[in-house]
Amino acid sequence: MKSVKPLILVIEDNYQLHILLRTTLESFNYQVVTSLTGQEGLVMARKHQPSLLILDLGLPDIDGQELICRFRKGSEVPIIVLSARDQEEDITQALDHGADDYLTKPFSPSVLISRINALLRRVAKNPSGGANEVFRVGDLTIELTRRRVFVGAKEVNLTPIEFNLLSELVRHAGFVVTHRHLLEKVWGVSHIEHSHYLRIYMGQLRHKLESNPASPRYLLTEAGVGYRLNENN
Amino acid sequence: MTDPHHWKGGGKQYFNKYVYGNILLGLLVPSLLTLFDWPFRDLLTSSNILMFYLLGVFFIALHFGFLSSILASFTSAVAFAFFFAPPIFSLEIADQENLVGLIVMLVIGVVTSNQAENIRNQAKVAAQRERRASALYNLSKELAEARLEIDISDIGLRHINAEFGGENLFLFPDSEGRLSDSVLLTSHSALHSKLVLDIAEWVLKNGEMAGNGLVHFSSEALRYMPLNGSTGCIGVLVLESKEDGLLFLSDQRQLLDTYVNQIVHALERARSAEQAKTATLKMQAETLRSSLLSSISHDLRNPLATIVGAASTLDVNAAFLDNDGKKKLLTVISEEAQRMSDLTIKILDMARLEAGEVVLNKQWYTPEEIIGSAIRRLDKKLKDRKINIVMPEHLALIHVDAVLLQQVLVNLLDNADKYSPLALPIDILVEPSQNGLVISVADHGTGINEIYQQKVFEKFFRIHEESAQSGVGLGLSICRAIVEAHAGRIQVTNRSGGGALFKIYLPVLECPPSIDLEEKDDL
Repeated sequence: MKSVKPLILVIEDNYQLHILLRTTLESFNYQVVTSLTGQEGLVMARKHQPSLLILDLGLPDIDGQELICRFRKGSEVPIIVLSARDQEEDITQALDHGADDYLTKPFSPSVLISRINALLRRVAKNPSGGANEVFRVGDLTIELTRRRVFVGAKEVNLTPIEFNLLSELVRHAGFVVTHRHLLEKVWGVSHIEHSHYLRIYMGQLRHKLESNPASPRYLLTEAGVGYRLNENN
Repeated sequence: MTDPHHWKGGGKQYFNKYVYGNILLGLLVPSLLTLFDWPFRDLLTSSNILMFYLLGVFFIALHFGFLSSILASFTSAVAFAFFFAPPIFSLEIADQENLVGLIVMLVIGVVTSNQAENIRNQAKVAAQRERRASALYNLSKELAEARLEIDISDIGLRHINAEFGGENLFLFPDSEGRLSDSVLLTSHSALHSKLVLDIAEWVLKNGEMAGNGLVHFSSEALRYMPLNGSTGCIGVLVLESKEDGLLFLSDQRQLLDTYVNQIVHALERARSAEQAKTATLKMQAETLRSSLLSSISHDLRNPLATIVGAASTLDVNAAFLDNDGKKKLLTVISEEAQRMSDLTIKILDMARLEAGEVVLNKQWYTPEEIIGSAIRRLDKKLKDRKINIVMPEHLALIHVDAVLLQQVLVNLLDNADKYSPLALPIDILVEPSQNGLVISVADHGTGINEIYQQKVFEKFFRIHEESAQSGVGLGLSICRAIVEAHAGRIQVTNRSGGGALFKIYLPVLECPPSIDLEEKDDL
């Protein structure tokens, strides 16, 4: 494993950013191929079979959303989306189309590296996308099949919905999960528009699991997009 | 009698009824008096009988028209001569005294009739004037309250329709001076089918009345009246002509002129107010632009100068720098670039908010979650700062745009962090108010001088112009724009212990949705 450097394909129309990403990623032991357009990106992806994609949403030739759908048709390759700020809707859409995570420009290269590492780790551990039986972060322990949750040594009682919500986040630990995804998985398709259910249950979960619910350490809000379960405290 | 509307439609029929009624009265009253006096003809002197007749004439003159009282006078004279003045059953009058009495009665009858008619006419005119005065008063009162041209022309039209009847219409020229034919396209009423735009244009150009029965275009079905104001003709009033020619009566014409004058004045007033407003807005926009330019040039140029300088030193003189020096320059570059990025984001946010491009994406959130996400966004900055959060449990959901409201809190927390000593905590207090929610963010810094407490929310305002701390002066303006977009208020005071206290009032505009709670069967 160590001998082969993972290959990352960057599809981004700003050439200066290619230089930055190539330099940064190569210094962290990744191989980088770049493409300035969506069309070229599709060809490169077929040719190089990259381990991960970094995709700018605002490409000159193909709409970013469309590109994500095309990639998702034949592959499970992790996709990190780059977007300008204030495009929560675009981000949400991209995630719902199958992107795995997002970063808004300007972004910090170190955050990008940690997201890439996390995604590649997940793929390596669970090719099928499933989660570990036991999830631990800080003083929080979640046992998925036994449906038990502990804060420190103390077991916490969760309602079925609270537990389903939490386990959905555990399945994507470290990554943002959109409101739509959570509503669909926990309450069903009929409740996709009822986002207030999600807010109320997330509030209840925080009160049960967080020491300071108004400044959560584990159950993080990504305003306008969704929630993220922090996996490294 | 005082309402000219009685004259409208079927006026002729009414006139006939009026004349026949008067004739009947003029004959009937003297006849009744004759019947009444006849049995007492031997007891009463002829002057007494004349008095009775005079009384009858007087009664009619007071209560009915001139015609009936004159007729009553003459009928009385004839009846007296025939039945009472000897020789009776003959019109001859033998007695000198009776003849004089009769003549005097006739004269008094005619004079009284005349006088009574005058008084009645005056009363009628007075009543008419009063009604008009009150109609005019109502018109001017309503016009005075109207601010928009469309309202003014609606009010004017309503009053003209009520006073003069028929269907009427205002036409105003568009920006190119052409009368719009959009009304013609949208309406199929009788008025519009008769309307000729070319004549209206002619009236607009010449400022003279034209149309039915007038000097110009007299064969037309409608009348066109110019709206002449101080700046020339500003529009055309199209009037439907009425059969009885009410508009030709001089006092009605006068009234119409008064109406039109008032409406024109109101329209001109509205227009000049609108122009003044546009001018002020333009001026404000220009001031804004110039202060924006000076702000941008100062706040973006300074960090740029540092970045360009540091980067070119690293590029060209790298060989002469030790590692420590390189590291310092790199830190400067990244800090200054971060500052530029923040400023650019703020300027863009403000521009978007100002341009009205921001559509609120309102959803139901717990206040706790929004505060939590704001604190998290400042994670790095606030990691050494204590933040006290006080909020009751089970607060109602609020209907807000989470991203924008989070931005408000981020800006407030960022300011609190910048302007208060690191050792002292920042306090966040959330409490329900009578009809909404109050979020307070307070620090233990020096606070904000009272004279600046309004100004801090203005764009590009900075208490210390060139301080290293201050940004571009947009953070709080963005806060205010966002809070106001939520129909809320934001204000700052100084807390009693020292330090600034920002309060956001968010009104509850609709009730939070309910949810079906799951069965309480815990795991």
